[in-house]
Amino acid sequence: MTVPDPVMIRATGLGRRFDALWAVRDMDLEVFRGEVLGLLGPNGAGKTTTVRLLTALIAPSEGRATVDGLDVTEYPELVRSRVGILTETPGLYDKLSATANLDFFGRLYGLDASTRAARIEHFLRLFSLWERRNDVAGTFSKGMKQKLAIARALLHEPAVVFLDEPTAALDPEAAFVVREAIETLRRSGRTIVLATHNLDEADRLCDRVAFVRGGLVRVDSPAGLRGSLGGHGVEVGLTGVPSPAVLEAARVVPGVADVEIAGDRLIVMTAEPRVVTPGLVRALVEAGAAITEVRERATTLEQVYFEVMGVRPDHDEAA
Amino acid sequence: MRAHIVTTVLRREWSETVRNRLLMSTILIPPMVLAIGPLALAGVVGERALPDALVTQVVAQRPDWANFTASELAGAFAVQQFLVFFLLMPAYIPLSIATFSIIGEKQARTLEPVLATPIRTAELLAGKSIAALVPGVLAGWVTYVVFVSLASIVYGPALFGVVTDASWLVGVFILGPTVGLSSVVAGVIVSSRVNDPRVAQQVGGIIIVPIIALTLLQSTATLLVGAAGYLLMAVFVFIASLVGLRAGVALFDREAILTRWR
Repeated sequence: MTVPDPVMIRATGLGRRFDALWAVRDMDLEVFRGEVLGLLGPNGAGKTTTVRLLTALIAPSEGRATVDGLDVTEYPELVRSRVGILTETPGLYDKLSATANLDFFGRLYGLDASTRAARIEHFLRLFSLWERRNDVAGTFSKGMKQKLAIARALLHEPAVVFLDEPTAALDPEAAFVVREAIETLRRSGRTIVLATHNLDEADRLCDRVAFVRGGLVRVDSPAGLRGSLGGHGVEVGLTGVPSPAVLEAARVVPGVADVEIAGDRLIVMTAEPRVVTPGLVRALVEAGAAITEVRERATTLEQVYFEVMGVRPDHDEAA
Repeated sequence: MRAHIVTTVLRREWSETVRNRLLMSTILIPPMVLAIGPLALAGVVGERALPDALVTQVVAQRPDWANFTASELAGAFAVQQFLVFFLLMPAYIPLSIATFSIIGEKQARTLEPVLATPIRTAELLAGKSIAALVPGVLAGWVTYVVFVSLASIVYGPALFGVVTDASWLVGVFILGPTVGLSSVVAGVIVSSRVNDPRVAQQVGGIIIVPIIALTLLQSTATLLVGAAGYLLMAVFVFIASLVGLRAGVALFDREAILTRWR
């Protein structure tokens, strides 16, 4: 029995040019089976182009990519039959019912009648749309449309699913519903590529995150990315502005890398907050500090994003 | 090209077309008017005689009408004008359907998920084209059959012979479908460039200009086209359609749709 290649998607020197403008260039990327990979980047960074290249919707200008071992340029139809895609907009036929929408796509994927019927029922039930199966898609809420579009992407049991901005333009409630749907997919062990600029979403759902800006800038796990930016720290709330004695007491605690004052708070930088915190609290109390709160301070993916992408939140990212 | 994929696209197109009331009204109402209009007009005009100069001009071009009575000749001349109107149906109905279909998909952004399936763009284009072409051609044919059936009751044998002669049969059954094809091609080309079906129909409506010109020529008896003339036109329109189809296929390319259609 042959062991399947653990790499589901492999891009090597992948690039795509539109006239003189390179949307994506020199992209080397591997996505492993069962992994959820986030593609993060600002608008115009090449996320959608990357998704289109990897789903054989457009051809690369340079380099190559394989999906489930199939070259996207040599076997575009086979690649498209192995991937499911949720496009930026749901792209449903509003005048057709939920069932008719899915049935149309099931036919395009070559599913026979009984398989289509079974899978349509399965996915409509999975995404709580079964009761509305005969209603036309035009009457659905944005969240329901997005779920129906995800069901459409899964209908042919694809080896890998691409979700392009799945919660963009959704209200918080609808976004929650869609994230739950993605979580369901994640638990089923499906390979997912999630293009988003929602950092919190990427942090919560992705095993690894790839920062993209005209090419691959960096890829790592969310924890790895946070760790690379100086790791964690401890934030200590006090009743007033800390005295020099309190500041000095914190600095000499073993394991503390640096200490900063932010109003009535002490920001203590350390690689091992859980190890350092007991000794730190003891030292601060002995120095006369009146502590109101102690909490672990983790670097957010947002901070990592701004650092890696070389932009600041108060600057125009599209520059 | 896989027939079952083309059929799948065709079924979906038609299921959406029948739900579009505006489109359905443009498909159904004109054929009804055209089936009855010529009969009424020929009835009115047939009571009068043509001016002598016009009679000479008409008979010179249609010697087979030389033995008609004055009223038969007036009726034949009047009813002959309507043959070109039977060409309008295969001209504007496919144009309406194609533009609504393609621009509708552009606006709703439904094409990308379809193109993400293993469908070939030729299959998608074929499905859409057939879905647009068939109702227009069928409308023209069915209207003609209804018209001829009524004509057999209302007209005398002379006029019935006129509307079933070779020029009508070639015009309706050969030139009509080729005009329909050219209309679909125009619809595809124009729809790839504009985002409003009404604008597309106005621009694509240029396809109707030669038909209107033909109407004017026939109404003044400058040119009364016979079967050979309609056949020649069919060949010309077919060749022009094939040339246009090459451009249409290029515009309907998967990458062009995804990256250039705005």
